[in-house]
Amino acid sequence: MKEKKHHSIFGILQRAPKDKWKKEEFSELEYEPVSVKDLLTEMKDISELIIDLAYSAVLFNNEEIAEEVKFLEVRMDKLNYDIRMMAMLAARTKEDAEQLAGILQVAEAAESISNAAGDIVKMLEGKTRPILSRIFQKADEKLFRVQVSSTSKACNQRIGDLKVESETGMRIIAVRRGDYWIYNPRSDTTITADDWLIVRGTEEGYEDLSKFLKGKLKVLE
Amino acid sequence: MKKDKAESLVFEIKDKSELMIDLAYSSLIYDNRIIAEEVYDLENLIDELYQDLQRETLEEVKNRKLLVDDALTLMKLAQAGEQIADAAQEIADVVLRDVELHPVLKDSIRESDIVFTRVQVDEKSILCGKTLGELKLASETGMMVIAMRHGNRWLYGPTGKTRIDPGDVLFARGPEDGEKHLIELARGETREI
Repeated sequence: MKEKKHHSIFGILQRAPKDKWKKEEFSELEYEPVSVKDLLTEMKDISELIIDLAYSAVLFNNEEIAEEVKFLEVRMDKLNYDIRMMAMLAARTKEDAEQLAGILQVAEAAESISNAAGDIVKMLEGKTRPILSRIFQKADEKLFRVQVSSTSKACNQRIGDLKVESETGMRIIAVRRGDYWIYNPRSDTTITADDWLIVRGTEEGYEDLSKFLKGKLKVLE
Repeated sequence: MKKDKAESLVFEIKDKSELMIDLAYSSLIYDNRIIAEEVYDLENLIDELYQDLQRETLEEVKNRKLLVDDALTLMKLAQAGEQIADAAQEIADVVLRDVELHPVLKDSIRESDIVFTRVQVDEKSILCGKTLGELKLASETGMMVIAMRHGNRWLYGPTGKTRIDPGDVLFARGPEDGEKHLIELARGETREI
């Protein structure tokens, strides 16, 4: 795993942001030099994660995941602001500007995606309804929630060592540990007994993974 | 008329819009205009589906087949899917422009957690002649096939019934260690799934 840039917020144990994050994020809204590439990588990662999180929030009727979506949406605004600044500073010629315009367009699209995710979680304000789960049930890749049993071999192992994704095709979107959440866990994130995982993948993959996490299966293959 | 037509339309919009994002990002990595054009076509399709859905939902409410709250849920989900589809089109638009892509675009997507990969299936490969459903590629290797090229024909969002033939080019999305496994399988370097 490559070393992540200093400002990335993924894979880090964090308390579910409540009212506090709004102030913190905006006080941070000042210019800091970061490479355009790092900014765009994070924006692309958020744009993919945030949709899964938004659908999980409405499907599982979970306010905390919805809060994280709102948090990421604000973060995306800041990243989009930073990337515009960096792109303007980098342009020297007309050719530069043309190429950089393409980057800004992709960044803008990533931000639109996060806005769509923000709209999805607003549905929580009404009641979530069975009609939602019926729609989600039709997909090849579905979202699931599963708790890790203390008897599972997964306990105290790193996600990367378990090769969860390449063995089962299940992608771990978030981990809930007590009061804390880890969103988009990295390969060096350790799984602990009683963690709740939100995962995305096929039903077959989920069957294997849930047996393993419940301690009914000794190895993942 | 089918009982849950509105529901099926929303599902299709949701499913296609997610596929479009994957296709859009992979069109950037491979600087591939054909995939980018497909994103454009899918966007038109989603616009049509969205219009059908609006009419269908209203009809179903009028005929008391659908509750108002459920109808709103469907419309909001579809609207989000439509927004996501528009964003994917914006990304594809960058590829279709006559400006060389900035190298940072490729690099930043490559460095991401999820990789996109492209591989041609060799005739020695055990993938040949089998369907995606039989192979269970997604659950066994973690790689989800998002598009395939069969000769001059393209197939986007293949299903479990899609068969892989020698010479097919697979475009897939997944984790880094899954990428290696899929490439070895497709080239016939390993026979173990």
